Amino acid sequence: MEEATHFVLHRAASSENRDRKSARRKIDNAATADYTELNSESKDGLCQQFQRESFEIVWSKIENSFKAILKNINRDAFNEIHSWVLESFKEIKSLGSVSSLSEAIRPIPIAIDAASKCLHAGLVFTRNIEFVDDLMTFEDLAEHLRSQGCHVANLSSLEFSADIGTSGCIRSLLKQFLSSSFDAVDISILSSWYFSQCNRDTPIVVILNDLERCCGHVLSDFIIMLSEWVVKIPVILIIGVATTLDAPGEVLHFKALQCLRLCKFILQSPVERMNAVVETVLLKNCSGFSISHKVAVFLKNYFNNRDGTLSSLIRALKIACAQHFSTEPLSCMLKVFDEQETFHGEQFDFQHQVISACEWTIPSTRGKMDEEGIQKLVNTLTELKKMQGRWSVAVLCLYEAAKCRQVNLLDLLCEALDPDLLASGPLGCHATSTKGRYISQAIQNVRELSEAMFVNLIKSWEKHTIAIPEIHGKVKDLQYILKFENYKRRKVESPIMSKKRSQNQANVIGGSNAFNETAVNFLECLINDFMQPLECVASHEIVCFKNVEKLKAALAGDPRRQIQVDLLGSRRILQCSCCPRDGGILCPSMQDTSIMYILSQEHGDLINLYDWYQSFKSILLPPSEGKQKTKQTKKKKNANEDEELSEVTIQARFCRAVRELQITGLLRMQRKRRPDHLQRVAFGV
Amino acid sequence: MEIDDFDMEEFGLSRNYFLAKESRSSSSKKSVNKLSDIEVLNEKELEAAVANIEPKHQKEISALKDSYKSSYSEWVFKLRCGFGLLFYGFGSKRALIEDFASTSLTEYSVVVVNGYLQSVNIKQVVACIAEVLWDSLNPRRKIPRENMSILQQPLSSQSMEDHFAFLDGSWTEENDCFVGVVIHNIDGPGLRDSETQQCLAQLAACSNVRIIASTDHVNSPLLWDKKMVNTQFNWYWLHTPTFEPYKIEGMSFPLILEHGNTNQSAKTATIVLQSLTTNAQSVFRVVAEHQLSHPDEEGIPISSLYTACRERFLVSSQVTLNSHLTEFKDHELVKIRKNSDGADCLYIPLPKEALEKLLSEIN
Repeated sequence: MEEATHFVLHRAASSENRDRKSARRKIDNAATADYTELNSESKDGLCQQFQRESFEIVWSKIENSFKAILKNINRDAFNEIHSWVLESFKEIKSLGSVSSLSEAIRPIPIAIDAASKCLHAGLVFTRNIEFVDDLMTFEDLAEHLRSQGCHVANLSSLEFSADIGTSGCIRSLLKQFLSSSFDAVDISILSSWYFSQCNRDTPIVVILNDLERCCGHVLSDFIIMLSEWVVKIPVILIIGVATTLDAPGEVLHFKALQCLRLCKFILQSPVERMNAVVETVLLKNCSGFSISHKVAVFLKNYFNNRDGTLSSLIRALKIACAQHFSTEPLSCMLKVFDEQETFHGEQFDFQHQVISACEWTIPSTRGKMDEEGIQKLVNTLTELKKMQGRWSVAVLCLYEAAKCRQVNLLDLLCEALDPDLLASGPLGCHATSTKGRYISQAIQNVRELSEAMFVNLIKSWEKHTIAIPEIHGKVKDLQYILKFENYKRRKVESPIMSKKRSQNQANVIGGSNAFNETAVNFLECLINDFMQPLECVASHEIVCFKNVEKLKAALAGDPRRQIQVDLLGSRRILQCSCCPRDGGILCPSMQDTSIMYILSQEHGDLINLYDWYQSFKSILLPPSEGKQKTKQTKKKKNANEDEELSEVTIQARFCRAVRELQITGLLRMQRKRRPDHLQRVAFGV
Repeated sequence: MEIDDFDMEEFGLSRNYFLAKESRSSSSKKSVNKLSDIEVLNEKELEAAVANIEPKHQKEISALKDSYKSSYSEWVFKLRCGFGLLFYGFGSKRALIEDFASTSLTEYSVVVVNGYLQSVNIKQVVACIAEVLWDSLNPRRKIPRENMSILQQPLSSQSMEDHFAFLDGSWTEENDCFVGVVIHNIDGPGLRDSETQQCLAQLAACSNVRIIASTDHVNSPLLWDKKMVNTQFNWYWLHTPTFEPYKIEGMSFPLILEHGNTNQSAKTATIVLQSLTTNAQSVFRVVAEHQLSHPDEEGIPISSLYTACRERFLVSSQVTLNSHLTEFKDHELVKIRKNSDGADCLYIPLPKEALEKLLSEIN
């Protein structure tokens, strides 16, 4: 019987749904529920439900904060683009307007002047080859323009493929503007739609997010077509460019280029965006969720060496967050870890009940959670929160100081999280070593900073420290000292000297003077007093995710390596007693595919099927003649006779093992060229 | 430190590759043994034997699978958090995933897609998922009246975009309502092309869908770009070797020993020949018969073939013969090589047994 390609395994069980809903209701009515009476199964369900809700609350805080920061980081560029759209629209309107519907849908006569065939296009330079990170930027831009009253449509490079031609883009435009699909794809439909709009003083903005990925020929045709209709459909194009601002010249036909009137805009660089996200999510951690030093280093290396996209970093953080909530039950306390300094009474009562019911304990103490234990936990968390706040302010101050040396925040963060850093001695002496390098650079930079630049640095310190009075006070002191020094110098210096000085002030590097040393002292004080890494604090496990191996495994599987490891070490995974412990020895009881794969390692890049078959056969059939046989016990002899393998079985087992290796992709057929050989694909794990 | 490890790993792999290449190029080690030297059983017997292979380590395999059961609740948690689960590791994961879906995902509807089958139709799959979601939402009457228009047409007649829009809609207040889509072998022959993978990625990005997929090929990550991986599939990788045999997944792979690996090409040749005219078939037969009767020669010279075909009234001119030969060459039924006199000779790239079988089939 032929197997179905797809089928419904089961449909959602309605009665279970009811149970689930009632469980949720129980959680919602926390104040009235008595959790101690629940049976163990219900407790498990309750724990899971509680963990998930906590995860959702915490992750939505993180997600909202980085989305907001990414939107905000390009706000100026978006406003600039909007002003340009309005200006361009004004210009288009000045070319003339359409008075009747019949005129609107009639193609424009060919003999038309060049000015009225001009299409305004904004080139948005993303400076980022990883277009996946810019998808959200262009969605934000669309939303921004929409909120300003423009008609906006987003087109992706997939709609500009050579297979579909321009009809794909027009279909997408019609779908987005008219909210319905049409069998006939005609630009005149769009024209008649625009004519029927009450408010015809609104520009149409078409955003194309990735120029380099489009089929140049199709995009050229699309541009030429739009330029012919521009008077009737006032389209303004916004095109995302990743590599260089010269890209249109390389992608588009010269006729299309002639139709375009280009204007250039530049977005924030990926590094700036990365720094902004790290600052918001990991430093100003509104959610309370933190990562350990090892996790931070892993994320940094993964970003630098493997993926390199902000979206992968965010996915990794989400995985870390989910893993933390599923493995550390008390992490649910983060649910109420809000902007305020202490926990709310009501929220805490609820947490208390669930913790008692589920018998969760603090990992480091392992004691049962009684009344006293929970109070201790609350105090610890409050203290942790305060400590985290001060720690992040200290790191941000260092970052501001190191900024002009092109230090990335993630690098600095990795250093600041290192529990061994403070133990290794004063930081000022690490400038050349790798440990504490970035922190030392920040300090060195402050030591060499000019007076003019100090004003800006102190302003930024003032902004960051405002929530922590004890640090803010010190920054204020610094500000007064700076002003006083300035005043003192002005009084001493003659007016001519003062003039000369002010001219050169911006360019002069101050060198090490008294004020610089005061600022360095301030930073050193921050490091010593407030930068105790989170991992050095008791009960940090509640808020800090540490399991780097688990994160690594879930983030990016390594099938190429792992499948080979499975085959080479099948005994280790199956934990059987029949196979030899030593991986190098082959015996017939091992999995056939494992035997075959281990045997294949002895061949070059091509495996002769005959040889391979013979060696496989020799493993399955122990030597039946000669001295070896005489040494065998009677019992073994009988066993061999019983299990004597026929040629049929060996061939079948050989075939199945080859088939399985082909499924895993570790072997490739040589087809017609070398019918007696198979090609190995992987060389070493 | 990590960079160094990474570089060393790369270096090790490339070194191994060149060592492997080297071991082949040294002619002393090169094996010239032929697959045909093995006395191969007939096709049916071999297929039957494969189906009846006694499984090894049954107890251990079932213990291994049982050990994964303790992770079921964690996997459900990850699904609820919005991740797609991707199982990999050696062995068929079909039974494991279906067991997980039927025991731990009872609150949700689950659709199974067999990606190892060549004939999977992605449009039908998406329509089926939309229908299942519609059924699970309908009794709850969660779809507001103003949004009913999206589903007024029958589901099967809607476009993929409509289905995706429906699957991505926020129909319920609780964000915990989804359809689980189990995809066995997401890298299988039926789903491997980039267009289907794009569709699956779009499907995975829908808020009311969670993908639970398995992959077996070592190169499967190459199927997806960064957008698909990070923003659409949102994979949570799970290494779960089972060592269970790939019984159904391997059905589409021919058995390597079947007629010395030429079975498939002989089959293809038969299909092509059957679609040609009787005259063309007869011309092919002349080439084949010559090859069988003169196994040591390079093939039949084109001039001799023309003479032989004219004698049998198969062709009337060189032009007609050439048109037949073009057809043969296009389908790789015949190839050309030069003999010692420098004349072009035609030969069929099949071994003797396969050629005999082919001739008997076209007769």
